[in-house]
This record gives sequence, C-alpha cells and structure tokens, in this order.
Amino acid sequence: MKAGSNLENVLRSGAFAVTGELGPPKSGDLELVRKKARILKGFVDAVNITDCQTAIVRMSSLTAGLAALAEGVEPVMQMTCRDRNRIGMQADILGASALGVKNLLCLTGDHQKFGNHPQSKGVFDMDSIQLLQMVKGMRDEKKFQCGEEIKGNEPSLFLGCAANPFADPFEFRPVRLAKKVAAGADFVQTQIIYNLEKFAKFMEMVRDLGVHEKCFILAGVTPPKSLGMARYMKKFVPGLDVTDEVLARLSDAKDQREEGINICVDIIRQVQDIPGVAGVHVMAIEWEEAVPEIVKRAGLSDRPEPKGIEPVLSSSSSIEKAVEDARKEVRIEFEEELERARTEAQASRELVIKEKEKVASEISDLKKQIEEARTMASHKEAEVRKLTEEIQKAKKELEASQAAGPAQAPPVAAASPPPGPGAPPPPGGPLTDREQKVLESLNLGLQALKSVLGLDDSQFEALRRFLEAEFMLQLGQIPAPAPPPPRPPVTEPAPPVPEAEPAPAEEAKAPRVEEAAEEKTARNKEVVNLVAKGNLALHSGDYNGAIEAFEKALSIDSTDEKARAGLADAKAALQKALSAVKEAPEEAAAAPEGLPPRPEEIDEQWWKEKWVIRYTAMGNVALMKGDYDQAVSAFEKALALDASNEKAKAGLERAKNRQGIFIPEVKAGQAPAAVKEAEAAPKPEAEEAAEEKKEAPPEKPVEEPEAKAEKEVKKEEKPQAKPAAPKIEISAPAGEGVGEIAVSPLSKEEPPLSERAGDIPEDVYKEACSGAIQSVTLGDGEKAISVGGETALPFYNFEGDMPNPPRVAFEVLDSEPEEWPDVLTKYFADCLGDPAAWAKKCVEEYNAKSICLSLISTDPNGADVAPADAAAVAQKVVEAVDVPIIFWGCGNAEKDTETLREITGRIGEKKVCLGPLTDANYRTLGATAMAFQYPVVASTPIDVNLAKQLNILLENLGVHLDHILMDPSIGAVGYGLEYTYSVMERIRLAALTQQDDKLSCPFIVNLGREVWKAKETRLPTDGMLGDQERRGVLMEAITASALLLAGGELMVMRHPKSAALTEALVEGLL
Amino acid sequence: MIIAERKKLGELLEMVKGCRRLLVLGCRGCVAVCSAGGDKEVSVLASAIRLGLSRQGKEIEIEERTLVRQCDPEYIDPLNEDASDFDAVLSMACGVGVNFIADRCGKVNVLPALDTTFYGANLSSGEWKEMCAGCGACVLHLTGGLCPVARCAKSLSNGPCGGSQNGRCEIHPDVSCIWQQIYDKLSGLNRSDEMKNIMPMRDWTSAGHGGPRRRIREDLLP
Repeated sequence: MKAGSNLENVLRSGAFAVTGELGPPKSGDLELVRKKARILKGFVDAVNITDCQTAIVRMSSLTAGLAALAEGVEPVMQMTCRDRNRIGMQADILGASALGVKNLLCLTGDHQKFGNHPQSKGVFDMDSIQLLQMVKGMRDEKKFQCGEEIKGNEPSLFLGCAANPFADPFEFRPVRLAKKVAAGADFVQTQIIYNLEKFAKFMEMVRDLGVHEKCFILAGVTPPKSLGMARYMKKFVPGLDVTDEVLARLSDAKDQREEGINICVDIIRQVQDIPGVAGVHVMAIEWEEAVPEIVKRAGLSDRPEPKGIEPVLSSSSSIEKAVEDARKEVRIEFEEELERARTEAQASRELVIKEKEKVASEISDLKKQIEEARTMASHKEAEVRKLTEEIQKAKKELEASQAAGPAQAPPVAAASPPPGPGAPPPPGGPLTDREQKVLESLNLGLQALKSVLGLDDSQFEALRRFLEAEFMLQLGQIPAPAPPPPRPPVTEPAPPVPEAEPAPAEEAKAPRVEEAAEEKTARNKEVVNLVAKGNLALHSGDYNGAIEAFEKALSIDSTDEKARAGLADAKAALQKALSAVKEAPEEAAAAPEGLPPRPEEIDEQWWKEKWVIRYTAMGNVALMKGDYDQAVSAFEKALALDASNEKAKAGLERAKNRQGIFIPEVKAGQAPAAVKEAEAAPKPEAEEAAEEKKEAPPEKPVEEPEAKAEKEVKKEEKPQAKPAAPKIEISAPAGEGVGEIAVSPLSKEEPPLSERAGDIPEDVYKEACSGAIQSVTLGDGEKAISVGGETALPFYNFEGDMPNPPRVAFEVLDSEPEEWPDVLTKYFADCLGDPAAWAKKCVEEYNAKSICLSLISTDPNGADVAPADAAAVAQKVVEAVDVPIIFWGCGNAEKDTETLREITGRIGEKKVCLGPLTDANYRTLGATAMAFQYPVVASTPIDVNLAKQLNILLENLGVHLDHILMDPSIGAVGYGLEYTYSVMERIRLAALTQQDDKLSCPFIVNLGREVWKAKETRLPTDGMLGDQERRGVLMEAITASALLLAGGELMVMRHPKSAALTEALVEGLL
Repeated sequence: MIIAERKKLGELLEMVKGCRRLLVLGCRGCVAVCSAGGDKEVSVLASAIRLGLSRQGKEIEIEERTLVRQCDPEYIDPLNEDASDFDAVLSMACGVGVNFIADRCGKVNVLPALDTTFYGANLSSGEWKEMCAGCGACVLHLTGGLCPVARCAKSLSNGPCGGSQNGRCEIHPDVSCIWQQIYDKLSGLNRSDEMKNIMPMRDWTSAGHGGPRRRIREDLLP
C-alpha cells in the first residue's frame, strides 16, 4: 500500500474500479462542486478533479478536491506542468497531502493556446514523466526534487498518469506508458475510447511489455451526449478516435442521450473483457447525472465500501460552526423573504376569490332571471295552445256549417280575390249568422289571446298569434291566392328572409300588431282581416297575394294606415323578387347557392359589389389556409358576379396553380362548411372593409402604371410567391413594389428588461463586456453602411450598444446560375444573365442595402473567365447601383488575386469590399485593398485560431482591423451550423470579454450559397417535406437568424423573402 | 542565425516623432541575411520615415549608415564621435546591437527598429523557422539532432504528448510534431530504443533562468 487511498484499496482488492470526473467551476462557487460530488457519490471509487482543463481558468483542483472530499467523495487531484514550476508544484503537493488528498494524477497539461489566456507564458518546467519522478521521490525517498530531505511528513500519494492509445506514433505509445510507470505511475487512465480495435491492440502491446502487471490500467470512456458532440470530438479533439459506427448509432437513435449512455455501457462491457484492464474512468463532461445510470447499467453499481475517505479540514469545528451560522443567517433571511412573498400571494389570492364570488353571484342572478323568463314563456305557450285548440274547434264548426250550405256562405272579404294560378276557386257567399257568431267567437279568442300576450313584450309571440289566427281564417274562409308555404306557421323567421331584414321588419310590425288588436273593435272587421291576410302573404313570399289583399282592404277603408303600409312593403318586396328572378339564371350558372337576398335599403349594384369583394376575400382566406378547392370556388363565384374583377382573376389563377401543385389536405366536407359559416355570420361592414384592405395591397402594384414587362413578370411571380409563407401575414405598405416579399414587423417588447427583471438587481444578470467590436464601413456616399461597433453580445441591448444593425447583402452571380432551383430563380427570371440588372432589381424591388457579387465564372475549374472580362462585368454592376458592393472571388487564391486586382484597377476610388482573402493571397490582396482603403473579407476555415492569425497577418501588413470583415466559413442548418455557431460565438466572446482585439472584427456571413446548395432546397414539393419554396426560405432564414445570434453582422443571402424575414427579425430585436 | 523582423511603421514613427536628425543604422550580420536590417532595408526604412513624418507635417533629416556588425566594439565605438549630431540612432540590428550601442555610447539615444524573434534557419525565400532556443544545455545528441526544447510547444523531454496526430502538433496544423520527427529520425538510425530512456528534469539556469549569461575563454582574454 503506497498511500492507502480508497482507489488504491479497490484496485489492490482486485475489484473492477470505477472513477469519475469533476470539472471545477469557472467561479468561486464551491456549492457547484459539492453538487456534482453528490451526484457521483456512491457510484465511483474516486473522482478526478481537473486542473484548469483545456487551459481555462477554473477553481484550483486542490480546492475543489477538498470540497469533494468533504462530501465523502475521494478526489484524484490532477496536476499539470503548465502553470507552476517545481517550486509551486511541490508546495501544492505538500499541502494537498496534508489536507487528505491521497491520489495525484500527473499530467503535462493542455497548451495555454487552447484556453482563455492564450497570451500567457507556459511554464513547462518539467513534463509529466519528470513530475511523476519528482513526486515519487518526495514520497518514497522523502526528498525534494533538488535532493534536499523532507523533514517531517512526506506526501503520501497514489500516483496516476494519462495515456493516449490513439495519438501518434502508435508503436511508441506503450513505450511511453512504460516510461511513466517506470517514473512512478501506480495507475493510468486512458484517453476516451471509442475505437476498441485500436485499444485492444494497444493493450496487447502493453501486455507484451509487462506494463499491466506494474500498474492498474483504467480505460477512459465518455457517453456521447449527442451526435453533434461526437462529431465535434472526432473533428476537433486531437487524439480522439470516434468511430463511424458510434456516429451511425447516434444518428439512427431516437433518443441520442439514451443511445449515448448505451454506447458507453457497451464500451465498458467490452473493455472489461480485455486482459490488463483494471477499471474504467467515466468522463461525463458536464453530464454528471449520466454516471449513475451508466454505472448501474454496466452492472458496476455495487461499489466496495469506501475506505480512508477522511476530510481533514471539515473536521475543524470552528469552520463548521461558521458555515452553520452563515447558513442560519441566510435561512432566516430567506424565510423572511418567503413569508413576505406568501402574505402577498395570499392577499392577492383572496382578492381573486372575492372577485370570483362576485362574478359568480352575478351569473347566478342572471341565470335565475333567464329561468323565470323561461317559465313564464312556457306558461304562456300553454295558454296559447289552449286557445288555439278552441279556435280549432270553432273552425271545425264553421266548416261543418259551410258544408251544410256553401252557396249561402258570404265571403269575409268584401270582394273575392282574383284566382291565382292553381288556386282553388274561392268558396264565396255571405256569412251565415252562425258563422258570424263563430267569427265573433274567434275574434273574442283573438282578443283574449291578445290580452294574454299583451303582457308579454315579445314581438315574436305576437306575430305568431296574429298569423295563426290569420291562417285559420284563410283555411276556413278565403284560400290564399297562392298556395300557403309548405312549412308550419312561423315560429321562427323564415329561412329565406334576408338576414338583415327580419329584425327591422319585425320590430316595425310588433307595435303595429298590438295597435291593430286594440283598435279592432273600432275598425271594419274585414279590413282587419284583409290586412292580416296581406301580412301573412307578404311573409310567406306571396307578394301578389299580399298586394291584392292590401288593395282590397284599402278599397274598403282607404284611410287604413296598416293596409297602406303593408301595401307599400309588399310592392317593394315584389319589385325585389322580380329583379332577383331576372338575375337568377346568370347567378345560378356560376354560384349554385346564389346570392343571399339583398336587404332593401341596399342598392342592387352595391350589393353585388359587396359580394364580389366578400367572395374574393373568402377565396384569399381559403388560399392562405391552404384550402385551394374552396379558394377556387370562391373566386369563381366572385367572377360570376363580376367577370372583369382583377383581384378575383388573379386569385383564381393563384389558387388553381396551387391546386395543381399541392395534394390538398382539406377534406371534402370542409369547403361547403366554411362557405356556410361565412354566410351564416355575415361580417359587419367594418370587417369586410378590413378584408378588402388586406387583400388590396398585393394587387395595387399591378394597377399602378409600370413598365409592361415588369408587370407581366410580377403577375407570374405572385401566384407562387404568396403561398410560400402562408402563415406570415402580408401587409406591405401600399405603393411598394414588392408587396409579397415584405414581412410584417415583429412585435417589440414594450417594458425594458430592468422592469421585467423586477427586484433582481442589475448586476446579477448584467455582465458588461470589456471589449468592443470594430465598426467597418462599406461603400461611400449616403448609401454607405456600417456594421459592427457593438459593445455587447448580439442583441444584448441591456448590456451595451449595438449601434449598427446587422445587414443583409443580396448575392448576385456574375453569370447565369446553373443549379439554382426555380423557387429562387423566378424572382430574378428577367435578369439572371445580366448581373447589373440583377443587382439593380435587388436594390429597387427587394430593397437591398448591399450587394455581394459572386465572381463564380472566374473559377479555373469552371468557366475560367478571364480577369479582364470579369472586371468589365463588375464595373457594370458598380455603375448600376449605388449601394455598397462586395466582390467575392471564386475561392481560388491565385485567380482571385488577378481578378480582384483587375477590378480595383477599373473602379478605382469607389469603395467596394474585396474577398475572400485567405492565408494564400492576403499579402497581394491586402496590399491592393490598402492602397484604395477598401475593406476586405478575411476568410478562414471554421477555426478561432486561424481567424485570429489571418487578422494578425493582415494587421502586420498594415490593414487596420476596422477594414476587416471576418468570414468564419459557414455551415447551413443541418450542415454544420452548430460548428459555425460555436466558432463564431467563441470568437465573439474572446473579442468582447477577453480583450482579444485581434478577433474584434465584424463577421460577414455568406450563408445563401450554403443553404441553397443543400439537398433539401432542391427537392420538389411533396407531402412529407412540404412546399419547396417555403422550405428553402425557412432554411435560409433560420440559418441567418441563428448566425445573427452568434454575432453575424453582414448576412449574404439569396432569397428575397428570407432576406425580408431576417431584416424583420433584426428590426424586431433591436 | 538570429532572425528578426521590422517593427510596424506606425510604431517606429511614434518612436522617432520628436527627432529632427536621425541616424538609421543597419547591420550587415544576421539581420541583413534575413532581410530585416541590411543596407537595402535601411534605405527603405529611412524613406518610409521621411514620408510618414512629412504626412504628419513634420520634417526630419535622416542619415543612413550600415555597419559590418553591431556586435563588435570596433564598429560601434566610432559612433561616439558624431553621436551628438543626432537626436537618436535607430538601430536595425538585432537586440544585441541595440544593447551594445546603449552600453558603449553614453550619449547616444538608441532605439530598436526590429523585433528580434528567434534563432532560425532560412527554409526558402521569405520563410524562416526556429531551430534553437539557446538554452545552454544541448541535448541534440539524444534526439537525433532535432531540438525538443525549441521546437516542441511544451518543451517536452520524454516523447510526444497525446496531441501528436499524423505528425502534426495539436497547437496548429502548420506545426510539425518534433517528437514524431525525432522518433522517425532515431528509428531510421536504428536508435529508437534510446527513446525508452527517461530524460531527467532539466536545469534551466543555463537557459537564462539563472540570470544573464556570460561566456569566458581565458586563453583568448587580452
């Protein structure tokens, strides 16, 4: 036993050991260490405490190790040679051992270049092997490195080292491990293993050297948290061999975290079978929660009872007491705070309950009232029914008497009405005395009925009473000129009655009815009857009958107001019906449902126009919803009413186009239902007007006088353009040429953060940056734009300034694009071969603030256009537009040098931007740019250090940082966006928080070309992937928005719609 | 050879902005070979300073001179005679020259025009690479003639660290792993077994950590 640590005990007992890893925080928060230790406790035999891993400043491994020890978790303190010389290291070793640390892992350490202080001086007084020798000497020989004796307690440490089986030269790796063991290593923990084959080979060589018998070998494993992490490790962590099989397993997995744990468990199982492997070292980087699960599933959760874990410091009662006191104080404060919050919450809760009760009692009162009204109504209904029965009886008696002497029966009306078509001959004849009596009794019944219902204000009931009586009369005495309507006497307004009409008509009638009943005795009975008959006929749609009845009534009593009014009503209604009949054939052809009857007060022409607008609006709504069948039918209806309506025509074309392309998702029943719905709830005029407005703007440009060619192009575009993003409401300001491209602004959050944060003090969430981003100006004159200049992370407006909003530059190709999908080219169909016109279109129609001319034709592997020819094109573009221009070469360093130089020769003083400058051509192009004071694009392949280096080189050349835009190389969403994001974020953080001014240049993000070369933007529209254009636009917009958040300042994009979306996002966030 | 490179013009202009008369002093030693401070560079720098200051509206009188070496008293000492003619001497030698002038010419206000970078070799025109750290305790006989002190990012003594991949150092893809090269070299010489030996901890006193270094050969002393 060398140190008596728990790890040593476990290993020497022959049990399969498990160690974990704990990264100390980048702060002084000891609680974070304790939390992680508690997660791991009981599942591992010891925990490695890293020593500023990847050269990033963290709490020291000694401190964090002691905290872990106090939690009952044995630390393996890691020590690197990077930050201390032999004096400092030996001092810490003495201290660590004195405070109860019993394991020490000796490492050389990651180079400081990788960390957050790359400017620091690396010490490297010794390497890891010499460190092992030194500690072994201290422990076994009680000597300091210089040879001086340690008088008193020597450090007692179980010594470990690392081994990377996957680094080069492979054959030397076992030898190097043997050297470490010879130098003093008691155990070794390997680099993360994914490639088991290679590891097995390594172990075979290790066994050949007999090393496994001289030390304990723990295999290093890590659960990959995600496919992205696995890819990152494969790509960027030197000496980490992530196999394709692991990547495939992750990418096929439904739950990548779950699969990551499974992969880890599988690897543990397999390394257990390799002779010489004495344990595993589970490194769950910032995923400590996974360790218990992994250990359980690997069948290793039955850990030996820990021995020898005794914190030295925490036994000090004074410290404990201080901690306890502090805790108490905090708890009291906390409890006070809690109590206050509780009281407040209780108070507001009570208030809410009171309000609720109040509302509830109001509701129940209302309910009671309704119930009362209902009972009263049903009561009255019963009375009515009773009276009706009496009337029925009377009628029967009347009939009986008629049957007895029909010839003598006098008509009730003074004159018999002319026979209507198909009407039975009027019975005619004067009334017998008996019938007179019956009528009288009937009238009495009516009188009674009236007096009963007179109490009830319901106009509805009154009407019913009146009509019922009238109906009885007609049946018995004078059949209506036209047959009565084939439905029961009205209890509800008749369906075909125009919606707008019933209310006013009924209102008008109700008082009239009351009046009539009251004056009845004073008036000629016949007149009353005729008026009633007329009204019934009017209501049942028999306008002729009604007119006749009223006329008859008037002939008896020309002063009767009711009759006169009724006559006027009936005539108007007849007139309306006639005109409706005239239109019917036309309408019936186009719109099966026909127009709902027009309310009288509305002029015929206006009514029609209204419905054209309404149908068009319905069509547009359906189009937005993606229900193209319904849209087509709506537009067709509109056109049937007004064949010359432009909006409807355009809409129909659009809808038909979409109908052809899309597999309609809408079920068959939905369309008519929607129509009904629209009809059942006629929109108030205001809403209708709004609808009209909503659909109007896209049309306006067409109506405006413009060049004919342009007009045509636009018409072609629109049908497809609009559904591209149906969810996004289109509200272009009228008069702007690109209505379908414009995007409605995002809503801005009103209250500032400080308000929303409530009582949280500012310094808790605010972390002001010490650095600033350079501001780079592109172009000249009033169209010049500046990007960069931030003093905070992107859109962290509460922490600093973002003086210049990020911008979008439209990409224009210098020759006709060959592989662009139609959904993209159609916006530039008229100018694809003419870069100058193209650029102009971008500026004038799509409101481009900047143009990026891609000189793809100059590519030596492609068209290989001569520099002079390319420059001629470039010059035309420069002359065509006045916004800033970026010239983006083909990517071939030599050719770009020639081409861009040629261009600068031609355009001279005009401030353009040149790119991409790489490490291969920065000298020549940098010098050229300097001569003209042009800004440049410094292009590097996704790497912080390369980006920095190129900036340094350019600066050394004399190019100022405020003339450099960094192109970090872009991956589109689904194609490495996360790498780009991560690198950009690190660059930005370095510039803002680590005073790394060499990285303080703004980003230019050339994302359009990356997005539009993705397969997903090329696949046609189908049921699974959805609309092609919408897909492409969203991919581009999403890539842009992600990279905006990573710090992108100048976004080079292709699709006008995604550019508009991006600009709207920027606008909304700032 | 000592490799140096000229400081940025802006920095130099700032240095000499108060001078009316300036001596730009080149050296025909190492710095001339690495195109940093020879005759040609002297005249280029002199013109650049004249132009630069005149753009700032200042006038300066510059004399150009190049010495055979700036690290021998016989070439340096004559400066004492006309030192008072100049407000400053801008030395285009390595740091040795600047120091030497400062040491020997009490009245001369000497300024450095170069950053002295490393001991290196000329790989090709315009490219130099560090080969030696001047650590004063050479181990090249153990490492196949390739220096781990100067050429390993962590100055390791006992073989490549875990960041060695495909012959490249992890700190930059342009940097080769010197320990891979040492391993290859020794293997080629059938000496790879030597790499099994543990190299003990180094004594850095001779590398300057023991204070300024000095060398004396008694037989040559005057």
